[in-house]
Amino acid sequence: MAENGEEKLIAVARHIAKTLGHTDTMTDDILKIFSNFDGRLREKLTEKLSEDGVEQTLNALDRQISRYISADNPIWSNSADAAAFLGSVDQLIAAVRDWTPLADDKSISSCLDRAEDLLQQSMFRLEDEFRTLVERGAESFDLTLSESTHPHPDYSDYDDDDDNVFADEDENFIPVAQQITDYDIVIDALPAGTIGDLHAIAKRMVAAGYVKECSHAYSACRREFLDESFSRLGLQKLSIDDVHRMQWTQLEDEIEKWIKAINVALRILFPSERRLCDRIFLGFSSAADLSFMEVCRGSTIQLLNFADAVAIGSRAPERLFKVLDVYETLRDLMPEFELNFSDQYCLSLRNEALTIWKRLGEAIRGIFMELENLIRRDPVKAAVPGGGLHPITRYVMNYLRAACRSRRTLEQVFEESIDYRKGDDQVLSSSSSLAVQMEWIMELLERNLEAKSKIYRDSALCSVFMMNNGRYIVQKVNDNELGTLLGEDWIRKHTAKLRQYHVNYQRSSWSKVLGVLKVDNSSTSPSGASKSLREKLKLFNSYFEEICRTQSSWVIFDAQLRDELRSSVSGSLSLAYRNFVAILQAVPDFGKNADRYIRYSVDEVEARIGELFQGTSGGKR
Amino acid sequence: MPATDFQESSSSPSSFGFSILSRRRDQVHSMESTHEATSQEIELEAFQRQVAERFQDLAAADSHELLSIPWIRKLLDTFLCCQEEFKVIVMNNKSKLSRPPMERHISDFFERSVKALDVCNAIRDGIEQIRQWQKQLEIVLCALGNQRSIGEGQFRRAKKALVDLAIAMLDEKDSNTTLAHRNRSFGRHSAQKEQRSFGHFRSLSWSVSRSWSAARQLQAISSNLVAPRGNEIMSTNGLNVAVFTMNYVLLFVMWALVAAIPCQDRGLQTHFSVTRQCLWAAPILSLHERILEEAKKRDRRNSCGLLKEIYDIEKCARHMNELTDSIHFPLTDEKEREVKQRVEEVRRVYEAIRDGLDPLERQVREVFHRIVRSRTDGLDSISRANSHD
Repeated sequence: MAENGEEKLIAVARHIAKTLGHTDTMTDDILKIFSNFDGRLREKLTEKLSEDGVEQTLNALDRQISRYISADNPIWSNSADAAAFLGSVDQLIAAVRDWTPLADDKSISSCLDRAEDLLQQSMFRLEDEFRTLVERGAESFDLTLSESTHPHPDYSDYDDDDDNVFADEDENFIPVAQQITDYDIVIDALPAGTIGDLHAIAKRMVAAGYVKECSHAYSACRREFLDESFSRLGLQKLSIDDVHRMQWTQLEDEIEKWIKAINVALRILFPSERRLCDRIFLGFSSAADLSFMEVCRGSTIQLLNFADAVAIGSRAPERLFKVLDVYETLRDLMPEFELNFSDQYCLSLRNEALTIWKRLGEAIRGIFMELENLIRRDPVKAAVPGGGLHPITRYVMNYLRAACRSRRTLEQVFEESIDYRKGDDQVLSSSSSLAVQMEWIMELLERNLEAKSKIYRDSALCSVFMMNNGRYIVQKVNDNELGTLLGEDWIRKHTAKLRQYHVNYQRSSWSKVLGVLKVDNSSTSPSGASKSLREKLKLFNSYFEEICRTQSSWVIFDAQLRDELRSSVSGSLSLAYRNFVAILQAVPDFGKNADRYIRYSVDEVEARIGELFQGTSGGKR
Repeated sequence: MPATDFQESSSSPSSFGFSILSRRRDQVHSMESTHEATSQEIELEAFQRQVAERFQDLAAADSHELLSIPWIRKLLDTFLCCQEEFKVIVMNNKSKLSRPPMERHISDFFERSVKALDVCNAIRDGIEQIRQWQKQLEIVLCALGNQRSIGEGQFRRAKKALVDLAIAMLDEKDSNTTLAHRNRSFGRHSAQKEQRSFGHFRSLSWSVSRSWSAARQLQAISSNLVAPRGNEIMSTNGLNVAVFTMNYVLLFVMWALVAAIPCQDRGLQTHFSVTRQCLWAAPILSLHERILEEAKKRDRRNSCGLLKEIYDIEKCARHMNELTDSIHFPLTDEKEREVKQRVEEVRRVYEAIRDGLDPLERQVREVFHRIVRSRTDGLDSISRANSHD
């Protein structure tokens, strides 16, 4: 009775274990719990295993497996073989697991040794099959991204079969051979079937404790794929030294290639690798994370090293625009870095990207400092003939205008280091850091121009020079981002300055002439008046002649300004001259001979004024 | 007068340049401008002394410590400290450094330091290389470490990891010949195929082009590095000695890194010539000599790096290989004990690497970032000093 009851109990225990355990592992665990519960149960529950059954099972498995292990052709070239082999390996893994707790038994122990030996050989074979599948799978695809045969939207939560659900989505209609403009795609680097096979193998290798070998084989192959993709994108491996020695034009080309490559890498290749990894190592997140990092690490470092080399490189002002491109590229990809490299293994790559991005910002600030130095050091000695527009004005203004097209980026760059001008007493407060920077550069430019104006000995020419350059500056500032940054006050102030230069010009070149034409007819005798008028006329003729001769070679680059200047001169002068001539002609003993003394008619004076500022060659600019 | 002073001082082996300064300081003690000059001189002398003390400390390492990961980390610490102190000197002397002749010296230093950045990057690749070897050791431990009993299967697994390890550790030039001998428990792949994927595997570990050479880079850092002459020391108040010192520290640290850690075209022929009169010359030259001796040793001559831990890997792998070749099944108790002992050896090596590499890599990165930072700050402050002239 007792015996019978015990048998029943054991049968029930087995039944419970089988029913509760959805997997072999669970069944095994449950049996173990029962066994621990009562020593007698252990004996009974495992009793069936300890006999010939073990050896028979093992021999059968050995026959099935050995056939495959020694096969010359890839097992996975035939799916039935693959399935059969996997089935046998599953049984073997389960057998090893079942027998391990019973290893104290000598006969079981020796079977276990044989089983483990067989397991090891199976694993080696699986590793080889795994490697072959990854390599062949990648080979079957054309690696050129723009010709990728399977671009499809990134709905990684869905299986391939579900893709037709989204057939109406635009992405599915991207013509296959077109240049990729939308990066929001994930490629299937391996055929879906292969991915399934690889997952099946990975599962067994993990179960048998060969996860390291599996991950290693995986990442070595995928790294190779990524590397090839990179060279197809035209990316070279460059050291910092290489980048520094490179001609700027060549480096510009490299930067273009880099921008394309890093976008493709972060938006397409890495997410695709992530997805592939997650699918092959489904359920083994740590192995997936580690393998993914191993795959992407080298490429990521290569990409970041280049950006770093650019950031560390020369800060010549002409580099600003390309460095801005690199900065913006990295900035815009930061979310992708976060997304792709969110796990613990990739954390350092993400931080590295952040550091290098910040360093590019620093480089941009450095470039502005170089611009400041360039302005400061622009030699004062060489005067522009005719007081015309100085090349430095033209350069700086066009540079700043172009730079301000990236105003938002620059604002970001300068906000990042508020203490950039710390200790510098020229700091202007209450506006954005970039505005402060721009005002500061404008001030440097003006100081430099003022110093340059001093080398003109003629103070009128000095004013013409300042007018020309000031006019150009105000024109370039108006109606664009630079003007917005500098503000209306700044523009108003500078327009007023221009008027002041105008007044200075008038005063220093024409006040003498106008002074001559002033007639004081109250206190002189007629004959004295006549004599003094003749003198005045002579003086006028010579002054006017001289000024016209000198100033016809001066330059006003802007037609409107030139007309304004001429008409304001002729406005004041011709009126005064007309009056003077009228007085002359009214003097009795002079009027008759007036034409002998009057060299210029009023019209002629106006005509001569109209010939001012034509430049040395007489041509107009 | 400066010339005689220099000759006099150069006859005493422990001082270079600075004795003149201190002597002159005594002479001009009563003059008005003394105070400022003195504080600068004190600063520069302190720098020489600290560099010397730090390297003496490094040179005090016994043959077990020398070139170990902890020693390399101490070396990098030393570099970072010297760099910090040098940075302070640069900040305090920016107006002098913005004028000739110091302007040339300092920009020359910054050029050299940029060249060192590539060495840092190559060393980072090298550390990654060692990490790959660490993985193979891990497999050996996995196969033989925690087993109920050690069977043939586990040995084959360990053996394969050891073979992979040996291939990975081979120098480029030898790799092809030995690859043919690659031993697998079964083989469907031709040796050629494995060679191909292996070749790729190696090339992928380097982030610079295949033509990059560490030896050439060191050569570039060391070119035209000459000790300052007496009259120039006088005219620069010894500032050029500080720059020369930092140049030399940079060169030596980079050279030692290349000596220790795998990288492309490691060549240690860089010429180290420095007059013994610098306080720090003796410890640096003695370290240089000891490292070169290490490189000449028979069992290290063909090594891919002189790092102690690499030697340990080679040694424990060799022991393990010898053991696996001599083994017969079933294992005798004695053999089993030996296996356990060898596995423990592998475990010790593995753990030292596992714990050492991450902080080492972080530190190499730190050195990289610090070089960049001090160069940027230095160039900025000098250029700003220039603009306020």
